[in-house]
Amino acid sequence: MTEKPTDRRADDKESSDDVEEVFGEPTAADGGTPIDGGTAAPFRTTSDVSESRTDRYRRIFRNYVVTPFSIVRNDKRALIGITILTIYSLAGLAAIFFVEPTESFEGQPYVQPFETWEFPFGTNQMGHDLFSQTVHSVVPIFQMMIAGALFTVIVGTTIGVVSGYKGGLADRVLSTLTDVFINLPGLPLVIVLAVLFNPENEVMVGILLSVAAWAGLARSIRSQVLTLREESFVEAARAMDIPTSLILYKEVLPHLMPYVMVNTANAARGVIFSAVGLYFLGILPFTSNNWGVMLNQAYEVDAYFRPIAFHWLIIPVVAITVLSIGLILLAQSLDRVFNPRVRARHADRADIDPEEEEGDATMTMGQV
Amino acid sequence: MTAADPDRSMPRADDPIAEVRNLTVAFEMDRGQSRVVDDLSVDIERGEILGVVGESGSGKSMFASSLMDAVVEPGVASGDVTYHPPSGESVDVLELSKGELQELRWEEVAMVFQGAMSSFNPVRTIRDHFVETLSAHDYNVSDGLERARELISDLYMDPERVLSSYPHELSGGMSQRVLIALSLILDPELLVMDEPTAALDLLMQRSIISLLDGIQEKHDLSIVFITHDLPLVAGLADRIAVMYAFEMVEMGPTDELLTDAAHPYTRALLNSTPNLRAPIDRMRSIDGESPDPVNIPSGCSYHPRCPMADEQCREVDPEPYRVDGDHAANCHYWEEAAEAVPAVTEEFDDAGEMGAAATERTPERRSGEPVLSMDDVEVYFEQESSAFSLFSDPDDVKAVDGIDLDVYDEDVVVLVGESGCGKTTLGKTAIGLQRPTGGVVEYRGQDVWQARDLVGDIDIPYEEIRQSLQIIHQDPGSALNTHRRVRAVLETPLKRWYPELDGNDRRERILGMLEYVGMTPPEDYIDRYPFQLSGGEMQRIALIRALLINPELILADEAVSALDVSLRVEMMDLLLELQDTFDTSYLFISHNLANARYITEKADGRIGVMYLGELVEIGSPERIINDPKHPYTQALRWATPELDPDDDPGERPMRKIDIPDAANPPSGCRYHTRCPEAREACRHQRPELVEAEGEEPGYQQAACFREYEDHEYWDSEPITDEDDADSVDSGTGPGTAEADD
Repeated sequence: MTEKPTDRRADDKESSDDVEEVFGEPTAADGGTPIDGGTAAPFRTTSDVSESRTDRYRRIFRNYVVTPFSIVRNDKRALIGITILTIYSLAGLAAIFFVEPTESFEGQPYVQPFETWEFPFGTNQMGHDLFSQTVHSVVPIFQMMIAGALFTVIVGTTIGVVSGYKGGLADRVLSTLTDVFINLPGLPLVIVLAVLFNPENEVMVGILLSVAAWAGLARSIRSQVLTLREESFVEAARAMDIPTSLILYKEVLPHLMPYVMVNTANAARGVIFSAVGLYFLGILPFTSNNWGVMLNQAYEVDAYFRPIAFHWLIIPVVAITVLSIGLILLAQSLDRVFNPRVRARHADRADIDPEEEEGDATMTMGQV
Repeated sequence: MTAADPDRSMPRADDPIAEVRNLTVAFEMDRGQSRVVDDLSVDIERGEILGVVGESGSGKSMFASSLMDAVVEPGVASGDVTYHPPSGESVDVLELSKGELQELRWEEVAMVFQGAMSSFNPVRTIRDHFVETLSAHDYNVSDGLERARELISDLYMDPERVLSSYPHELSGGMSQRVLIALSLILDPELLVMDEPTAALDLLMQRSIISLLDGIQEKHDLSIVFITHDLPLVAGLADRIAVMYAFEMVEMGPTDELLTDAAHPYTRALLNSTPNLRAPIDRMRSIDGESPDPVNIPSGCSYHPRCPMADEQCREVDPEPYRVDGDHAANCHYWEEAAEAVPAVTEEFDDAGEMGAAATERTPERRSGEPVLSMDDVEVYFEQESSAFSLFSDPDDVKAVDGIDLDVYDEDVVVLVGESGCGKTTLGKTAIGLQRPTGGVVEYRGQDVWQARDLVGDIDIPYEEIRQSLQIIHQDPGSALNTHRRVRAVLETPLKRWYPELDGNDRRERILGMLEYVGMTPPEDYIDRYPFQLSGGEMQRIALIRALLINPELILADEAVSALDVSLRVEMMDLLLELQDTFDTSYLFISHNLANARYITEKADGRIGVMYLGELVEIGSPERIINDPKHPYTQALRWATPELDPDDDPGERPMRKIDIPDAANPPSGCRYHTRCPEAREACRHQRPELVEAEGEEPGYQQAACFREYEDHEYWDSEPITDEDDADSVDSGTGPGTAEADD
């Protein structure tokens, strides 16, 4: 069985020595130009030049950054989404270094927004700087959002993919678990848990808020995997004895990515909304200033019918809404990144798949 | 009549029911205007059956839709389609208003679509469909239903049962026949059939074709029959029009077109169509691919693939040249075509002779240890039972029921049978992708599933078995992951099985293989996504993927049936060529006896015929084709159309058209419900495969009591239809007798 490949292997090495002098011009290898005559003999494989490490990194960069970016660049939704998220992130980071946390009676109470440059968003009843409060909320909110979204998507996708693909007992157990979580009343559960654990860490808050959110995702991913697993290419991979984890990762997951991306954005929004809601209701402990806390405080002083305090309510609402819109736009545009037709149009011909990089370790072995 | 004026030299009908002039259907696309029908002119004679033949993507369906002005949005049909009713004013179909169109459609021009199942509304009964059609056109419903009953029984179905059933309760063949009845309910003059039998099995195809002739005569119809399958219409159509690259390239009376085609494309198409009689070593596929509708070659659209193309062909689009009478071809050099593309059928004599050389070494080759051996393999699928039937016995579908089959080194076995006969399940069981519920599958003496489960003494580890048994799927489109490039697809098996290869080795090996299978330059292909490949190219990639890990046995599940007719022979040749290089055995699955014959005869293999989970006959191709022993094989043989205008299917060698339910197969010999030779003994006893009479062992085996020398079969009473209570939707002689006039 293995004789033939071994023989070919021996041939490979000879001819790879022949072209050794070309070593050092790695771009020739990915330029698609036939360098040696190896292709003339059909089953004798010959390796030409080896790739340098920088070259491989360049390929990873091209595959994961350049191509997605060039796709996204032509998409208005993506541009708006990215701009919004960038502004938020910059504001959040800048806040840490440049904006002092506000103190009581820093300014006059109820300075209206855009009146003075000292308090661009105005101040509240206690003379707190609302701008400072707003930008200082970004980091904790982002922490919650990212933790919650990642938790939802990772747990949901993993459970959905595994139960859909494996079937049998694994499916029954995981599906039952999913059903249980789907049927849990989400908000009351979160409230009870919040009271029980009184989480102060933002990451914990994020995960706590998504504790039941993954189940819906898992269920719909499972149903998609059920059809994907019957596809011929999955069966072919099984026939080639490709490990299940690789089949799931390489063959099944790419088909789910657009859906997963949109769900990531939705999960992130879900976390923001429920976090703000629970802070507003005063259920989560006020450990840091954030938009939910601002809303709560504004509500306490009846800002909704006092024009003088109105901006206190409006500012966090606008901050939340714009962030949510940015997330949705970005997620929608990301499905183009995973569309092979679009990818092919944007990638230059020399561009290659990420699989290439996995050959790294074996390649070094092969050349010993 | 000069060639300069297309309208003059095109054969004109004396009494056309429809005239199509300069019809163009165009779609605006991102990358330009896509002309899926390009300046097409044709006459449809009243009362004729016009066969329109073309490969997939040649624009034939769009042509069909434009006859009713039903081109889907955003396509635009321009030109003239003039319909001449038997009495009254002629109308230009493309100019009609919505209301006028509604009157034209179905009342004058009706259409039968390809996928019968999706043409019905699943939540309404068949009767509702008829009533809806009748009342939408203000017809008298009760008179209409009377007519419907008549039509349905003409098509060999029980009218009451069919009318009250829901679409899912009908088999594919039945719903296709109901669709034909539905299309005729308003008594149209012109019936357009767009691949009406493409989704059906061979036997059903043939049965429907033989019914059509009778229907056409009885209802005084003109029929436009559109298909990719030239032999299928050969026995049916009065005239055949050949479409290539969105226009008609040749048109003429069937017999003239088949025996004396004047266009090089038609000639090449005839030569590339596998059938049961033409000598296999002279069949050729057509090099190259059909053109892209956005980018039609200038001049004659066939010139890039034509052996006689010259400057004139590249520059001047040929007008129809009158060959003689009604026969015209769009080729500048039609007079020389016969010489340039000689017909393979021309000098074949006796069908029996051609395989003689191969026959001699057949049994000897199959000595020694088989690569794969299946012993009494059974695969039963439990049917989904609802919660309420928890305590009833599960209804097993016996997909494969007790089959023995050995595949040897460099062997080729083709499994043939109707859909649902279990051939794919058997194939997947053979290569270890489906666990059998009974019996043993052995790879070189090692029980595959014991190796898998690590039970007993394992001589060959499962890994090696897995590597040795590979698969090529039917639909190349779904066999490749749309999200992965050719390179990634092909690297997967290499990484798994040859981890010692580095990235550049893999790349070179893939490039070498791409070039070997004719995808040049390989550098162009390696970074493509599957959607950037044609069907044939995708199938090649799937083939390379299976071959890269050097398997011993490849299961090719209908590997060519999704390809264009002109590419099939090429693909089969490639498979066989690679067999020589790689010493692989093949287990083919096919529903098409002509393809099976081509590949087995060329590779000196065997054809196995399956029926309802059982292997009913197996033998060398020349025995199976020329002297089938089992009545079912005879029926398959009957159902395989010939490229012959005088091809007379003869009386249907079956008592029933429809295949029994696999969940509840007949007792005894499973074919006894349809078998014309069945006798009482067949009801109770199940025949085993025995060596066919008068043959050396190893050539042919059949599971039929008629091969038993001494059996109670010979003394028992023949089964007739009167004995079968449920034989209403079957047909014996009468239909075929009229149909064959």
